[in-house]
Amino acid sequence: MTGTAITNTIRKLRFERNEMTQQDLAERVGVTRQTINAIELGKYSPSLEVAFRIAAVFGVRLEEVFSHDGGIPEPRGAAR
Amino acid sequence: MSFREKTAWITLITLIVTSLLFILHPPLQLTLAPEPDFFSLHVLLLSIATFVVIEIVAIVVVRMRSPRDAKAPLDERERLIVLKARSLAWYVLATSSLGSVMVTIHLGANELGLAYCVLISFVLSLMVNYAARIVYYRRGA
Repeated sequence: MTGTAITNTIRKLRFERNEMTQQDLAERVGVTRQTINAIELGKYSPSLEVAFRIAAVFGVRLEEVFSHDGGIPEPRGAAR
Repeated sequence: MSFREKTAWITLITLIVTSLLFILHPPLQLTLAPEPDFFSLHVLLLSIATFVVIEIVAIVVVRMRSPRDAKAPLDERERLIVLKARSLAWYVLATSSLGSVMVTIHLGANELGLAYCVLISFVLSLMVNYAARIVYYRRGA
């Protein structure tokens, strides 16, 4: 998975929380620091559960942390 | 570099070194029908023992340097990496094992030749497993 269409504001949110470190965030979410780094750089898309936990740590809604850049593909056989 | 990436490097390098120790030992019988040779058997056992000892010592040293990382359970990304690497290695093991059987049937390898081919298949799949883990750790997942 090299680069995803999902972008995030984790870096900004960490900065706004007294420059919370990746290690602090990782411990509170329950993943490794390397996983937080991979998510922050857009190299890895987390599961919904981890995404919700990250949002909960920052006390914001999920869509304030993650957003999808690409268009949503139409399902096959959809009527036009 | 995370603890698990370091251990993947250690295992891969140790596998390569100990495999070379066995493959390059004299007198080398590069044939599909090697004669039973106790010296080669001893070198094989020595290679396996060397692998186990290096692996244990190196991983204990790395664990002591980063005990918190070592104790942490696998998270979802690491589990995904392990599964993807194992899946890739399985294809290598299946293909090379089948190749070993074909070699035995069509090229006339003897029992010892077949045993070496299967051993090479197993080691190759382990190498692919750990090399793939390293690549996935570097790429993110």
